[in-house]
Parts: sequence; structure tokens; C-alpha cells
Amino acid sequence: MDRIEELTNQIVEKFERKGIKVNKSEIRKRFNLLINEFKVPESEAIRTMTNFLLREYGLSREEVFERESPLIKIGEIEKEGMWITLKAKVAQLWDSNSPNVSQVGLIGDETGMIKFVIWAKSGKREVEEGKSYLFKNVITDSFQGRLQVNINRMSDIEEIDEDIPLPPREIEIVGALIAIQQNSGLIKRCKECGRVLTKDLCAIHGKTDGYDDLRIKGVIDDGENVYEVILNEDNIRSLTGIDVEKAKEIAQEKLDRNAVLNELKSRLFGRYFEIKGIRGGRYLLVKDVSFYKPSPNEFTLEGFA
Amino acid sequence: MIRKREVARRVFAYELIRSIHQIGDEGERSPKYVLTPTGERVNRIFSVAALLDKEEIRPDSNIWRLRLSDPTGVYYAYVGRFQPEALETVIEIEAPELVAIVGKVRVFEGMKKLVSVRPENIVPVEIEVRDYWVIETAKRTLERIKAMENEEDEDAKLAMKIYSPNLEEYKNMVKQAVSAIREEIKVFEEEKSEEEIEEFEFEFEEEEWDLSDLLEE
Repeated sequence: MDRIEELTNQIVEKFERKGIKVNKSEIRKRFNLLINEFKVPESEAIRTMTNFLLREYGLSREEVFERESPLIKIGEIEKEGMWITLKAKVAQLWDSNSPNVSQVGLIGDETGMIKFVIWAKSGKREVEEGKSYLFKNVITDSFQGRLQVNINRMSDIEEIDEDIPLPPREIEIVGALIAIQQNSGLIKRCKECGRVLTKDLCAIHGKTDGYDDLRIKGVIDDGENVYEVILNEDNIRSLTGIDVEKAKEIAQEKLDRNAVLNELKSRLFGRYFEIKGIRGGRYLLVKDVSFYKPSPNEFTLEGFA
Repeated sequence: MIRKREVARRVFAYELIRSIHQIGDEGERSPKYVLTPTGERVNRIFSVAALLDKEEIRPDSNIWRLRLSDPTGVYYAYVGRFQPEALETVIEIEAPELVAIVGKVRVFEGMKKLVSVRPENIVPVEIEVRDYWVIETAKRTLERIKAMENEEDEDAKLAMKIYSPNLEEYKNMVKQAVSAIREEIKVFEEEKSEEEIEEFEFEFEEEEWDLSDLLEE
């Protein structure tokens, strides 16, 4: 069966399931025109066809597509383009630099973690770190080779009174902090949304005052693997004794907010750390971090010398 | 698709300065690697070493030559304005000082191939960090030597073909490095290795250095 026939059958079935009879040969003709002659990408052709049929039969999108996507676990997500419902906890919110994105971060259940994006256009509520939600009718997508879920207009987010456990795949690593990335040190976050401000500007809320926070975005390297980590104020305080208040003092004293980063760098860069955390998306989520203290028998190099 | 960050490999100075075979040269954007004599494919290294000397290569050039030493030998690093973070430290630092250094390995092809490091970052660190670095690097090196003996992977075979290294020499290098640390931590009985590594000198002639590579970027 050729591709045109396949697409035609799919769309006919979709409408017939709703009890709507559509003209199959007309659809085939249009698909042929769009795809074979006009070389329109398939996904666009499908969208165009759907819109055409909705108009033609005077239907609203909701009538045809109101759907309850299957409730699955994150570990069962296999490919992009799956409409699904997830029960998951927001493990981490990231900074978003795009005004098109309302929120971005990681959600997890006991089977895995996945990046999520709430598009600004979706008009959905904001979620909070550490809380669990039912993410209804979300669609899987792939971005830069990684799977993610998108929350769009068709989706729903409901807070649930359940604490969804995160995957037990905790790892322990020992490695050196070999890079500290931009937007580390004493930073300012937007009061509205928590995004990191650049030059007092929030990507969404424009010029704002913001509040101070302390963090390090860095790279831990054990000679075989690299792990991107984010150390928050608690982590930094436990390692260096410097908290936001202390950091502000340093900045004031030196009349330079960058002095904080220099101080942290001189105390942390190149050192070995023992980190317990969960692998999720791009970052290793740090649960526990300390300076690594090798035990004396590590210096014996068993079976050698 | 974003390129995966290159892992910072652990290689002793003695081995590093002998790593003159480059791989993966095709295309401007593709990462460059050097193959070490024990078969490590290196783009970036992490090293903890004593900064022995810093010297501006010409007055006001703001390009600094650093002489660094770990327990096995000496290597050179060049820092210029294209490594702003490292440059900041270099200007302030006073040698001698123990430093952690992360950087890219370069091979300059003059009359003779010369290996150096272009640091991304340099920060003074404590002795404990150096001690663990030596142990970690010793472990990694021994793993590689084992892979060479068993001809485990392609890089090991390639290194064998190109360098045909005397693996005993590299085992001795590891032994020497570890015993230097052990004497110092004194947790262990004195157990000096009897074999001594041959004295080696890092030969260096300034004229041979082609810095155009460094200056271009």
C-alpha cells in the first residue's frame, strides 16, 4: 500500500470512529496533490487535511479529537508523537530563555525521568518543584535527540494528593569539578517565575528587581564520563560555608558580584567530590555532595607495586 | 545534535609529552585527539601539577608559557587571551604553586613534534587533591597498560603499532609516581620501588615552537 493510501485510511478511520463519513477519494486526491506535487511535509499535509475536513463538515476540533490518552509510566515512553497521560512529580525546574516556554524541567515517576515543556501558548497553570500532578493529554516529542513531553493547548494539568516517588536509580560518583559554567555564583532570579535574570531582565517578565540566589552549574568528570550538575545554595553552604547572605557580603565588600564566583571557584574547582544523585535528562540531580576523602587503602593500588 | 562534551583524561606528564600521534583531523570542526603511548585517546586532560615557572613569551604579548611538573615529569602549557579564565589566574599566581589544570592537548609540528596543553582553567589546589589525582591517574594508566597487554581495543592496538612502547617503562613510571605520594602520606610502610626511572629531560627549543595555531584562535 502506498503512503498516500495509508494516510488516507488513517484519517478516514479517525473521522469514522466519531461516526462521520468522509469522502475517501477526495481525501486521497488532496493528499496526492499536497505530498506528491507540492512536496509539503507529511505532518503539514495531515494538519491541512484535518483542518479542511473540520471546516467542510462544520465540526469543532474538540468534537473529533476529545480524547483521553492512555495513562502510562515514563519508562514506557518509546518514541515521539505519542499522546499520553502521566502521573508524575516535578523533580526540577530549569531556566528557560524562550518567551514561548512557560516552564521547562524534569518530571519523574518510579520508572524514569523525562524533560517536560509547558508552552506559553498552552495557557496552562504553572507547576511547582516537588509536587505531583496528573499531566493529561500530553504529547511526546524529541528535541536534540532526546525525548521530552510537551504540554500544549490540548493538555491538562491537575495537582494530585499523592507523592509520586522518583526512580530509585540513584548513582554515586567520584569525580573532579573541571568546569564551572555561565550563570553560576551569586545570581538574580525573577520574582514572578524564578528564572535567572540577565542584566536585570527576565525572558518573560522584562525588567524586574529579582531576588538573590546562589548556585553552581558545573561539570564533574571522573576520567570516563562527564556529569553536568547543579549545586544549589544548600549544597554550596555545606561545602564552603557560604550562603546567599555571606555571598552578598562578599559582593558588597569587593563591589563586584563576580567576586563570589571567583571565591567559589578557588575553593571548589579542580577538587574531587563524592556525589549522590539521580540521572535525569541533561543534569545529574544532586541529592548529596561532599569533598571526596579517599580511604587509605585506595593508595595501595591492589595487585600492583 | 549537540556534540557530547569531551571527557578530561588522566595522563601523567611522562606519557603526555610522548603523545605525538594525532587522530581525527578531518574537518575544521571535528575534535582533535592525540593518542598516547598506552592507547588513551585524549582531547582534554585534567592534571594536578606543580607550576614551576611562568614566563611571558614576549614582553606585552600576554601569552604565557607555564612549566608544570607532576611526579613523573614536566610539560608545558600556553595561556593567551583566548583562555580568559585561565589567563586571569596565571596573571595573579606566583610560582611555585600546586594547581589543578583542565585543558586541551596540542601537538605542534616543527622540526620535532612537541606536545603542550592549552588550559581552559587553572586553579591552585591543596596537596590532598594532588595525592588523589596521582592515584586516579595511576589506576587509569594501569588499566590502559593492561588493555595494551591483552590487545583489548582498537586504540590499544593502534598505540602498539605506532609507538611500540616498552610497557615496563610505563609501569615503572606509575610505580614511581605512586611511591612518591606514598612516602608523603606516610600511611604506608616505606616501600620504595627499586627500579629507577631513567632520567629524562624535556628538550625544548623555543625556535621550534610554531605558535601561529595558538595565535589564530
